[in-house]
Amino acid sequence: MEPIILAIILVCIIIGGMLGSLGVHLLPVGGAPAAMATATGIATGCVMLMTGSAVTGLFTASTVAAFWESNPSVLLVSLSGGVGAMLMMGFTMLIANLIYIFGAGVVPVSGRAAVDPITKESQTEYKTPRTDGHGVPNVCFYSGMIGGLAGGFGGALIYVVLESDVYANFPVAIAAVVALGIFIANAIMAAYNIGGTIEGFHDPKFKERIVTGLTCAFVISLMCGIIVVIAIETGVLEAVGGVL
Amino acid sequence: MTVTPAVEEEEKKEEEEKPKEKFEFSFDYFNESRLGLFALIVGAIIAVASFFPPLPAFVKGIGAMLVIVWGADSVRKTARYGLGTGVPSIGVLAVGFGLAGAITGMAIGSEIYHYFGIIGILGILAGVAFMAVVGYVSGVLANNEKFIGMKIPGLERGMAELAMAGTLAITLESSIVAGTWYSAAIMSPIKGYDVTPAAFFAVIFILSGFGMLQPYNSCLGADERRGRTLLMAIEIGGINCIILGAVATMSLGAVQGVPLIVLGAIVWVVYYRAYMKACMAEAYGTPGTGLIKTLGG
Amino acid sequence: MPVISLFAWLLVIVFLAFIACMFEDLESDVGSQSNPNSQVQLAPEMGYIHRYYNKAISGEGLSYALACTIAGTIALLLLLKFEPTYGPRAAILAIPVGAAVGSISHMIRASVCYPGRESAHKRFEQPIYLDVFYGHLVPIATHNFIAVICITGIAYIQSNLTVLSGVSGASNPFPLPLLCLIWGITVGAIGSSTGDIHYGTEREFQDRPFGEGRRVVYHGQICRYGDCGIRTSKDIVAFCAKYGGPATGLTFGLIVLFENWRTVIGMMLGGLAGAAWNPGIAAVSGIGLGIAVAIVLIVLNTWLVRWARKKFGPFVGE
Repeated sequence: MEPIILAIILVCIIIGGMLGSLGVHLLPVGGAPAAMATATGIATGCVMLMTGSAVTGLFTASTVAAFWESNPSVLLVSLSGGVGAMLMMGFTMLIANLIYIFGAGVVPVSGRAAVDPITKESQTEYKTPRTDGHGVPNVCFYSGMIGGLAGGFGGALIYVVLESDVYANFPVAIAAVVALGIFIANAIMAAYNIGGTIEGFHDPKFKERIVTGLTCAFVISLMCGIIVVIAIETGVLEAVGGVL
Repeated sequence: MTVTPAVEEEEKKEEEEKPKEKFEFSFDYFNESRLGLFALIVGAIIAVASFFPPLPAFVKGIGAMLVIVWGADSVRKTARYGLGTGVPSIGVLAVGFGLAGAITGMAIGSEIYHYFGIIGILGILAGVAFMAVVGYVSGVLANNEKFIGMKIPGLERGMAELAMAGTLAITLESSIVAGTWYSAAIMSPIKGYDVTPAAFFAVIFILSGFGMLQPYNSCLGADERRGRTLLMAIEIGGINCIILGAVATMSLGAVQGVPLIVLGAIVWVVYYRAYMKACMAEAYGTPGTGLIKTLGG
Repeated sequence: MPVISLFAWLLVIVFLAFIACMFEDLESDVGSQSNPNSQVQLAPEMGYIHRYYNKAISGEGLSYALACTIAGTIALLLLLKFEPTYGPRAAILAIPVGAAVGSISHMIRASVCYPGRESAHKRFEQPIYLDVFYGHLVPIATHNFIAVICITGIAYIQSNLTVLSGVSGASNPFPLPLLCLIWGITVGAIGSSTGDIHYGTEREFQDRPFGEGRRVVYHGQICRYGDCGIRTSKDIVAFCAKYGGPATGLTFGLIVLFENWRTVIGMMLGGLAGAAWNPGIAAVSGIGLGIAVAIVLIVLNTWLVRWARKKFGPFVGE
């Protein structure tokens, strides 16, 4: 295969991995404490949340990629994946808020910011003492939507360059699982970086950790990308065509 | 109700001391280093040998079980210091790396085989070696003060081991489904059907991941014991063999598949019993029913 | 009318998704799983001996990915075996049998968790209650079966949509097990991020004041009393089935509805695989519709949070 195409694949894998890592840093993840309304954010671990939203995007991206008989548009397919992941995050956060408000009777409030940086609503007096916030306040919602978009875009980008017949030309099943593998590895390293909980871009932790997180994502995606590129270069994994 | 007065408890405890010895499967010889080395060597030999389709699937199944036990042990070793995001994450990391490594290993091995003949089948180990490096570097990134700074002793080695175990497990399980890890067999349709073995990568991915991450997650606690955790790892290896055996029966025929299912069933029954007995014997008590004791009943 | 039948199948998928995610959440409440389980795990260490079922297979996303992928694999095997003879009717056998295998495997995995975790609590004097152990296995398997059969059904419909609806290009190119993996991860991620709140915040700490976040000092001090006697995990389902479960089902149903809806509308705007088929327009209109829905969601959430702040007011009390 031509070196320029291999280079494009490598760059796309790196961008995809770094966007996945950025997405994890942007999600408002509360982990186990959020399930008890002790921390702001969504009540699950960041790895599962990011993977769940990214695979939702991947599903749409795979359908959209099949629109083209050959040479799918990389940008449009990745954007479809990103929007799919964004919708998944949006519905999850909205209904989580419904349960917080009507099921547990708590007001969504941020624990790390005294004033919502976007809507300028004050937060501190709504917060239960000796908790770290609860629910998904507006700023976290915006952050989560952007995070979903970034993560879904990254996951779908890795998938489409591996699947497209112009680039790696893997069969869809192999392209999807390899994309999933690389994406999950990046998401987990990002999760270790933020250490459990984060509220989004307004969280002081975000500024503190994002450089480290993106550096790690770059290194890991680079290494995984090189390995995948070696596999592509052998040429034995190309799709035979017409078969699942 | 008089469920557990203090005296009865004392007696029960004494009774339980004895069976405890009996059920304690000794993993003392196979300490963490020996188990890892043994599983790596045996797993690598079986992985290389599984290039040849006549190799019975149950041999590969044994190899996969060994590798999964090794992975579960590595998860236990690293996750016991607390990861911040739950135990399962590191097991998924292992199979995530393993997928990339296994597919690369298969591609390299097949390509060298095309050019240099039979010696090329050692190329499958290239994937394992690559993943060892990737795993080690991720461990350094995660542990180093300058980067994430998790400060977990032995995380570098643990992640390298996990990446290797994940690669070997996925290689072995793919070769169970396709008969060999030769890329032409993985990529071409199964005889008589319009589906390739690659369609089963999803189930291979999640089965090997669970073999590694579930044992420590399910046994977590102050009184967790390594022997018990590893018993569960072997038991899950048995379940994996049953399901992969069903797939192999379809793709390769009953001669390959049925022995694997039988092996899986025997392993599962033996180790499930052993694990349950060990748990029941080592628990504080196993009342048939009863109220919680702080209610005074 | 292929497009109408495409929409009809889409609505079937949405209905199945609603049922699947609702039962997924309730199943995670039968044997306490995922994030609220951290409190069940912590309770004996705080001296709170309990009769909850501690089902720590893994996070919900992964454990559902496992059960659904096994179901999808077995279903695919049966379909490959019987489809040449019986045609699409083979699915009537394949999907339930696959789901049964998946849920039995899930039950076996659930059965090793309670003894494992409680025997690791020996020093806190937490026994293994055998009635809790045996009594929860069948509810776990049955709730799981309904969730898994719905997910397998969704995956089957999506991978055969071209044949079922008559619109070419409507099928998803992924094989059945991979689709099951995708929806399994998603259904678990949603179940743990929305449904768990009702269980973790409200039901697990029902004896604490309503309307405030659960303070850190309460952690581990879970509510162990039922309406009469001692609470087991089975009592939680009846409570969560009234709000947490349906709301969770609604989340997944809406996600599946809008994800497929915008793709199908995009396909129609793109010319529906005829001579005028333009994949670029199809993709762009799908993306545009998705962004429109996202903006509506942002507005809804802003409005909801503002309403709650006004209605509930600042925190009063200690």
